[in-house]
Amino acid sequence: MILLALLFAHPAWAAESGTALKADALRAEPFADAKEVAALAAGDKVEILKKNGGWLQVKSARGSGWVRMLSIRKGEARKGPGDAAGLLALASGRAGTGKVVATTGIRGLNEEELKSAKFNEPELKLAESFATSKADAQKFAVQGKLAARKFDYLAAPQ
Amino acid sequence: MTRWLCMAVLALGCGAAWGLDLEQELKKTLKESVQQKIAPQTGAAQGSKEPGGGLLAGLGGTSQEDEVAIGRQIAGNLLGAAPLVKDKRLQKYVNNVGRWVASQSERPDLPWHFGVIESNDINAFAAPGGYIFLTRGLYRLLGSEAELAGVLAHEVGHVIRQHHLKILQQSQLLDMGGKLLAKQAGNNSAVQKLIGSGAEVVARSLDKNAELEADRIAVVLSARAGYDAFGLPEVLQQMGHFARDDGSVALLFKTHPHPDDRLEKLGLAMGGQFDAIKGQTLEKRLYRIK
Repeated sequence: MILLALLFAHPAWAAESGTALKADALRAEPFADAKEVAALAAGDKVEILKKNGGWLQVKSARGSGWVRMLSIRKGEARKGPGDAAGLLALASGRAGTGKVVATTGIRGLNEEELKSAKFNEPELKLAESFATSKADAQKFAVQGKLAARKFDYLAAPQ
Repeated sequence: MTRWLCMAVLALGCGAAWGLDLEQELKKTLKESVQQKIAPQTGAAQGSKEPGGGLLAGLGGTSQEDEVAIGRQIAGNLLGAAPLVKDKRLQKYVNNVGRWVASQSERPDLPWHFGVIESNDINAFAAPGGYIFLTRGLYRLLGSEAELAGVLAHEVGHVIRQHHLKILQQSQLLDMGGKLLAKQAGNNSAVQKLIGSGAEVVARSLDKNAELEADRIAVVLSARAGYDAFGLPEVLQQMGHFARDDGSVALLFKTHPHPDDRLEKLGLAMGGQFDAIKGQTLEKRLYRIK
C-alpha cells in the first residue's frame, strides 16, 4: 500500500532519461539539416524532454537540442505511457520478482504450452469473424486522416 | 482442382533435386486435408496475382491455399493455448489497423486476420497466410495507434516474406519419410503433421536476419500507411527496459535479437530517409482495453 502511494506520488510526466547509443549531433531543430548546436558522444546521459517524429529533444551536459531517436537508448524505470502497466504488474504480483507469481487468471505463454496446445476451432472461428475487408480498412484509414504514400523498402545495412 | 494441379506440376518442374514421388505424395496429402477447411475462406484471396510469381515464390512452391491452411492450423492451436481477449471492439480495432497496414504490402489480398490473446507475456506471433496475434501484455505497453501499427507491420513482414513457411518447408523435407509413414498409421491431419506439435512453430527462433528484415519492413509499411514510422522503434525501446530474466519477455528475448541490437540495426537502415516523412501517431484513437 505504501508502495502504491509512492508510485502515485511519482509525477507521471517526469522527464525520461536516456543514454546516447552512438556519437551524434545535437541540432537546433528536428531536421537533419538544422544547425548543429553540440555533439553527443556514445554513453552520454541525456534527459528526454519531447518527441517529434523520429527526433527527441534532449538536455545533456554538452547542451540541449534535437537528436535522432534511434541514437538514444531510453533509460530505466518509466515505461512511457505504460506507467499504468507498471501498476498493473505490481497489482498482479509480477513486479519486482521478474516472474509471474500471481495473476488474475491470465497466463504466460511458454514453449511447453505452445507445444501441447490443442486446436480450438470455435475460438478460431471467432477470431476470423472479426476480419476487416480491404475496403473497410480504407474507410478506417480515412477516418484517422491516414493517407497512403509510396515508400521503397529499405536495404539491409552493410 | 485443375488449377491447383497445374500449380503443383509447375512447382515440381522448377523444384530441385528432392525425390519427386515424396514431394508429390506430400502435396496430395496436404491438399486432401486442407480442402474443406479453407473452402469458405479463400474467396477474397482467389485470383489474386502476386508480383514475383506469388504462388510459386516459396521454396518448393507451396500454394497460397496451402499456406493459408497451414497458418489456420497453427492459429487454431495458438488459440488453444491462449484464447482471444473477450472484447469485440478491441478485436475489430486491431483488425482495422492490421488490415490497413497489410494493404500497403505486396500481398494485400491474403485473408488477413489479427487478434489480441490472453497472456501477460509480451510477444506477438505470425503464422503463414496472414494470421497475426499479439498478447494482452504487449498491447498494454502501447501508447499510440502508430505503435500498434508498427508491431503488426513487423508480423506482416514475416508473413509476406514467408519466414515461418520456409522453416516448415525445410523441416518438412527433412522429415518427409517419417511423415509419410505416419500417414499410414496415424489419424492426425496431414497439416498438423507438417507443423509439428501444437503451435510450437511460432515459438521457434527465426534467423536473426529475418527479424531484422521484418523490422525494416515494419517501418516502411507504417510510413506507407500514413503513420509515424517510429512506432515500432518506440515499442522496441520500451521492450529494452525489461530485464532479460523477466518471465514476461523470456520467450521474446529467446527468439529475437535484443531490442537494443534491433534498434541499432534499424537506425543504420533508416538513416535520414524518414526525415521528410511526417505521419500520424493517433494516440487518442488507440483503443484501451477495459
